[in-house]
Amino acid sequence: MKTNKILNISNDLRWQIGEGFHDKLTEGIYSDAATIAQNSVQKKGDAKRFRFDRSLDKIVTSKVWGFPIMILILSVVLWLTIIGANYPSGLLSDLLIGNIYPWLKTIGESIGFPWWLSGFLFDGVYLALAWVIAVMLPPMAIFFPLFTLLEDFGYLPRVAFNLDHLFKKSGAHGKQALTMSMGFGCNAAGVIATRIIDSPRERLIAIITNNFSLCNGRWPTQILIASIFIGALVPENFAGAISTFAVISIALLGIFFTFMVSLFLSKTMLKGEVSSFTLELPPYRPPRFWKTIYTSLIDRTLIVLWRACVFAAPAGAVIWLISNVFIGDSNIANWMIIHLDGFGILLGLNGVILLAYIVAIPANEIVIPTILMLTVMSASITGVGSGNGVMFELDSINATGEILKAGGWTLLTAINLMLFSLLHNPCSTTIYTIYKETKSVKWTTVASILPIILGFIVCFIVAQVWRILM
Amino acid sequence: MTNPVTSLIVFGIVVVLLFLLFYPKSGFYWRIKTSFKNDTKILIEDILKKLYHAEDNGNTLNSNDIINSLNSSPKKILETIAEMENKELISFENGDIKLNDLGMDYALRVIRVHRLWEKYLSEKTGFDKKDWHEIAEKMEHKLDSLQAKELAINLGNPRFDPHGDPIPTETGEVEPINGKPLPTFSEGTIGRIIHIEDEPEIIYKQILAEDLHIGSHIHIIENNEKRIIFHSEGEEFILAPIVANNITIFELQKEEISEENTFRLSKLKKNEHAKIIGISGECRGEIRRRLLDLGFVINTKIEVDLTSPMNNPRAYLVRDTSIAIRNEQAKFILIEKK
Repeated sequence: MKTNKILNISNDLRWQIGEGFHDKLTEGIYSDAATIAQNSVQKKGDAKRFRFDRSLDKIVTSKVWGFPIMILILSVVLWLTIIGANYPSGLLSDLLIGNIYPWLKTIGESIGFPWWLSGFLFDGVYLALAWVIAVMLPPMAIFFPLFTLLEDFGYLPRVAFNLDHLFKKSGAHGKQALTMSMGFGCNAAGVIATRIIDSPRERLIAIITNNFSLCNGRWPTQILIASIFIGALVPENFAGAISTFAVISIALLGIFFTFMVSLFLSKTMLKGEVSSFTLELPPYRPPRFWKTIYTSLIDRTLIVLWRACVFAAPAGAVIWLISNVFIGDSNIANWMIIHLDGFGILLGLNGVILLAYIVAIPANEIVIPTILMLTVMSASITGVGSGNGVMFELDSINATGEILKAGGWTLLTAINLMLFSLLHNPCSTTIYTIYKETKSVKWTTVASILPIILGFIVCFIVAQVWRILM
Repeated sequence: MTNPVTSLIVFGIVVVLLFLLFYPKSGFYWRIKTSFKNDTKILIEDILKKLYHAEDNGNTLNSNDIINSLNSSPKKILETIAEMENKELISFENGDIKLNDLGMDYALRVIRVHRLWEKYLSEKTGFDKKDWHEIAEKMEHKLDSLQAKELAINLGNPRFDPHGDPIPTETGEVEPINGKPLPTFSEGTIGRIIHIEDEPEIIYKQILAEDLHIGSHIHIIENNEKRIIFHSEGEEFILAPIVANNITIFELQKEEISEENTFRLSKLKKNEHAKIIGISGECRGEIRRRLLDLGFVINTKIEVDLTSPMNNPRAYLVRDTSIAIRNEQAKFILIEKK
């Protein structure tokens, strides 16, 4: 009874106090805080410092220099990542695949493992793990620290400030510029980075559209396919330029889709979510170099790598199994390829590509090795590769091109693969991360299915138009 | 391989079909869905609401008026009116329909849920102002009084909905609005906007387009049959009398007026100094709390710090901190220039 009485009194009081209660409370807190601060805080003359901040801000947010500086910095970061990662990636791959892998195979033989056990463990699980680590670790270990340094310095909030107007037009938040750029490194990390967006609706938009940023796992695929098929269209002198141009166009197309899908989501599914925009522009400060390196390696790189490994190991096993388990006189992979082929060709792709994207959900990095393995297997090419279910890559771009052409690839297949590589479901690490961040099956499903539907539609239309015109 | 032209045509047909089926509101799927749900309870409640609003404005309605104002078939409406008379919700007086006590109670309950839900939408969701009414129209038939009570407690027992309409209490009391429509005031009057009517939709949309805010003070400059001109928060507004009629004003006494020099923050120019005098009542929910938490509170000094390359958003210097907000939000912050 007593509690009820108290509740009733409190309801009555709320009724009497009226609507401005929260405002008055906040005002009270601020005025008290201001009085206390005035009486007890002594200010040192740091006006000079403040002027430096102001003049730097004037430049990086100016009409003339704001955008060029932004584009320059992002390009440098991406260039350093893609070019710089090649060397450590090569070293890691030599070590893990060139040395440890044969060594493991020998050990297995000497202990007397049956062929299927060593195939399952070493050709399947180990190889996928090794591949993911070799290809994924170096770019992330370069990209994330660079990005975190910029963040720590205080530049990134200015980017959000500059770009907010563009993002607002599609119903998104300026800070999505940052999560989008982060997505160029890794979509899973990009999704985690959306925590900086405090408005629920804009955060969901940023999470769902992050997959349209071409991630590190997909840049090499794009570059490889572009140099084999698109570079070959023009005289050798221009090959490099034209294939670079093709890859950049795909990345820009991704940005275009980010805006379009953001607009669509904010007008339909996400209409009712709360939206609020504010952005603090903190003062610049010298980045804490070692601390940044440490936290970005631990918080971002290793966590993402660990998640990728957890998913890559079973995927390796699946890839090996489908190529080595026979039903009748065909293995599962061939059987699936034949059945997926009709749909694949309708989309201007083929069964091998679709199967590769199904089994390589854990990491975009293993799509190309899987495609090569499956192509060699299904087209019965001899002399390359190391057997069913064993992923491989070739050093020579030309040799890779020969295999793909023998597998029935045309220029259309190449273009559509590039498009499909941009527009397909996020990798399982990202899907898992989206679930962790949103805690919602619904939004995770939307984020996973929406891009692949778009991919099907875009590839389908391109294929039909191509066939009509060519 | 299938002929590309055929497959494109098939694809086109599928897209068009999906579009027709699922286009928001007018798609076949949604229409079929709503037509199944159109049961008697909803119709009874809609008729009760019509009657309540008519009586509130001092008008009376007969069966024909109701048939004309609702979307259902005349036969169904007449049947429903008969049923309502049986249940003693309404009674006939010289052909006009009157609400009985029972009907009045019921109508107030429905209106209570409607206004509470609009309040909920304004405070806790991101739906646009123009969508509130329609969503609340659907929800008012769904919540029972226990749920309504829970909702009210969660919202802190609000007294007014976001349009300024009083929310009936659980016991059915309605606070009177003590204001009059804008066109009834003479030139020179200073008043406060206390209510903006959200029906009919066409006029409400015009008011929304003008960007008028509930709670803002206005100063009437010109008032004749053609147009009404008034100043508010440093801006000039020109409305047609028919539009202005849906805005309710409460006249202010001379000593209550302190906002002669009031502007919206979005109008602050570079190198000008100003002092915050409040946040408009039109700014609600999460974003209002966020602005307050960031220090946009009364008597705070404020100036423009930075302007982004596309002029929106702008960063303001508040308590030595640079905070960027969009011009759409800066409009809600009222300042006094120095």
